[in-house]
Amino acid sequence: MSLDMFGHDPWWLILIKILVVFVFLIVSTILVIWFERRVVGRMQHRPGPNRHGPFGLLQSVADALKLALKEDIMPTLADKAVYFIAPIISAMCAITAWAVIPFGPEVSIFGHKTALQITDLPVAVLVVLACSGLGVYGIVLGGWASGSTYPLLGALRSAAQVISYEVALGLSIVAVFMLSGTMSTSGIVASQAENPAVNIFGLEFNVPGWYAILLFPSFVIFVISMVGETNRAPFDLPEAESELVGGFHTEYSSLKFAMFFLAEYINMFTVSAMCTTLFLGGWRAPWPISIWGAANTGFWPLLWFMGKLVLLMFFFVWLRGTMPRLRYDQFMRLGWKVLIPLNLVWILVVAGIRVSSEQEAGTAKTLIIGGVILLAVGVIFFYPRRKQYQAPAVADLGVGGFPVPPLDLKVPPSPRTKKIAASREATGVSASTTTEEEG
Amino acid sequence: MSLTPYVPLVVLFGLATVFAVFSVTIGPYIGPRRINKAKLEAYECGIEPTPTPPGGSRFPVKFYLTAMLFIIFDIEIVFLYPWAVAFDSLGMFGFVEMLLFIVTVFVAYTYVWRRGGLDWD
Amino acid sequence: MNPALTGVLADGGVTTGEAVTFWILAPIALAGAIGMVLLRNAVHSALSLVLTMLSLGVFYVLQAGPFIGMVQIIVYTGAIMMLFLFVIMLVGRNTRDSLIEVLRGQRVAAILLGIGFAMLLGTGLARGIGSIPAVGLAEANVNGNVEGIAKLLFTRYIFAFEVTSALLITAAVGAMILAHVEKKPGEKMDQKVLSRARFEKGNYPGPKAGPGVFATSDSVATPALLPDGTFTERSVSKVVPARELTIAEARPKAVNGSKEYGAIK
Repeated sequence: MSLDMFGHDPWWLILIKILVVFVFLIVSTILVIWFERRVVGRMQHRPGPNRHGPFGLLQSVADALKLALKEDIMPTLADKAVYFIAPIISAMCAITAWAVIPFGPEVSIFGHKTALQITDLPVAVLVVLACSGLGVYGIVLGGWASGSTYPLLGALRSAAQVISYEVALGLSIVAVFMLSGTMSTSGIVASQAENPAVNIFGLEFNVPGWYAILLFPSFVIFVISMVGETNRAPFDLPEAESELVGGFHTEYSSLKFAMFFLAEYINMFTVSAMCTTLFLGGWRAPWPISIWGAANTGFWPLLWFMGKLVLLMFFFVWLRGTMPRLRYDQFMRLGWKVLIPLNLVWILVVAGIRVSSEQEAGTAKTLIIGGVILLAVGVIFFYPRRKQYQAPAVADLGVGGFPVPPLDLKVPPSPRTKKIAASREATGVSASTTTEEEG
Repeated sequence: MSLTPYVPLVVLFGLATVFAVFSVTIGPYIGPRRINKAKLEAYECGIEPTPTPPGGSRFPVKFYLTAMLFIIFDIEIVFLYPWAVAFDSLGMFGFVEMLLFIVTVFVAYTYVWRRGGLDWD
Repeated sequence: MNPALTGVLADGGVTTGEAVTFWILAPIALAGAIGMVLLRNAVHSALSLVLTMLSLGVFYVLQAGPFIGMVQIIVYTGAIMMLFLFVIMLVGRNTRDSLIEVLRGQRVAAILLGIGFAMLLGTGLARGIGSIPAVGLAEANVNGNVEGIAKLLFTRYIFAFEVTSALLITAAVGAMILAHVEKKPGEKMDQKVLSRARFEKGNYPGPKAGPGVFATSDSVATPALLPDGTFTERSVSKVVPARELTIAEARPKAVNGSKEYGAIK
């Protein structure tokens, strides 16, 4: 499978593929909204939407129709043109990124041999990155053009957040390019098919080809930053309901809001599909199934691809159901002080191992391996960590004893029962010690 | 280098544009129009919106520093990509020169970190 | 590689698709550039610059340089985003350019220099387009565009590449000097110091009174009353200029098209 097979489809085949992908995106957005509400509901011990249609499947359809029939409001203070363009940019960029996502291998449609992928380019991964980069404009411009305080705050936060995590995302892909030697998505999938032989200290054995296993640190960083990149919980600071009402889309309603909503969900699919393609073997069947010879031929791979996509979407929902939102400074610290330096060191480690495996055994090889290990150890050793809490020598009594209760505080025993009084005293003592520790 | 693989990309882009423009344009026509002055004001939890202070609402210059750092790393990434793709053919020489480059950029990064440029409070 | 296309490219010709794309995008790129200069709102200017940069990115792809095209889009997206943030931070949201000329004679000098630059570019382009045939595109991209760039960048232009890192250091230092407010070691307020300051004598630790509480009108501009009957200025946002309300302003809002209600008769 190579790049030469793309760009020869007849026009009707191109149109069919594009329409199928487009419809897939819209329909799966509606389905995933239902899926998310059901799963989050189950996680919170409630049924979730279950009234309309089987299992409540039609709930999202009803919601989408209702959204379209809502009043469309253009605030007085809004910058009319930019307010209008922003949701268009968002939706446009989100959908375009799907042009290079590989769904499956070469199949035959109406007698034509073609790949289950709209197109592929030598720089396909960069197309996805460019789309996600341009998509941020939708959010930032929408927030700016609303002419209101909360959206502007959301837009600024979003800009700072997405650019911070885009660096981590971009760096985590470098190791994948290094191993696959290409930037085309179909090429990266193909390069994960083989099980490369690895020689460690004279022992030779085959390792699985998925980059999630070979490049595990890259995979972890990619997964963290893809959640940051899509503004999802626990990194949903640009639209934090409890702080900014709705963030950048506070002033939007009706179909303009629907476009932002659609873009957010499609972006989730995009990063999930990229994660699948770059790290989880793309459309290739996972191990126990791949023993069956026909698993990677015909239309079967669509099933494996969708399965991986659904698993990643479940992961997104799971995060939302589990994690509280990060504080802004913690969030930025994670991005800039943890993910980026770790990433750079990891790239150098991978590069060092790869270079040394090509050298003949000897001084050069030992030097490189030694240097790389030294570098890794040095970074782990010198990596600044949080200071250990030290209890103060003198107890902190607050300002004039207020609001900190004195250390020798005696809670007056209740005159009612001696039993309660005894237990109160015990808790009173332990309570005062904890306050002291927390200081 | 043939341009035909780009055609589907352009077509999908066109379809997405038409879809988005169409949706956003018909929004005001299919929805009801019962507009009053309060609805058109900026939303601030039901109270009267804060008027913009004279001179426009400015923001901490801190965000600018983040954006600048982003550009620095973005450029580094752009150099890393072709290096990673051609890594096997560049070999040892490529490794050493990229090591130099990354270390130099790391100096800038360490400087910003030590001066507290990455702290938010 | 398409052999027919290679032949065309070796002759320096262009395919129809290339020509059509060029003639669609070239006016857009120009319009973006002109709009960037002419638009008075700084954010609109930045946006039209985005349009120009995107068109340039597509031009690079057309010229068989997909890597540089995509990089153009990715890097300039970020760069203009920075410009955008800078505008919001520096001049605020609603400020427009002032058209008062501060430097004398600047306009004349700019026009003269602009004409000179255009002539320089024009002659260079005319010489370049006219006689020299384009060759070597196929050889340059023989192993793929990205590999080709890597080969050149990391062997022949290694010095320029390494110097770029020095440039990046300069950028970081410059940004720090411009935008970083240094804090002395003891100056940073942690949570404990802040909570102490809150309970200090003379500071009221409870939440501030909501605007309009116990007031004669329900406007944010009306200060709240303290239990002793005096106004508390703290209840009014600093950005709201203190002034008396007219009767019309204090009246509840009416719905357009409906009968006015609550009007004072």
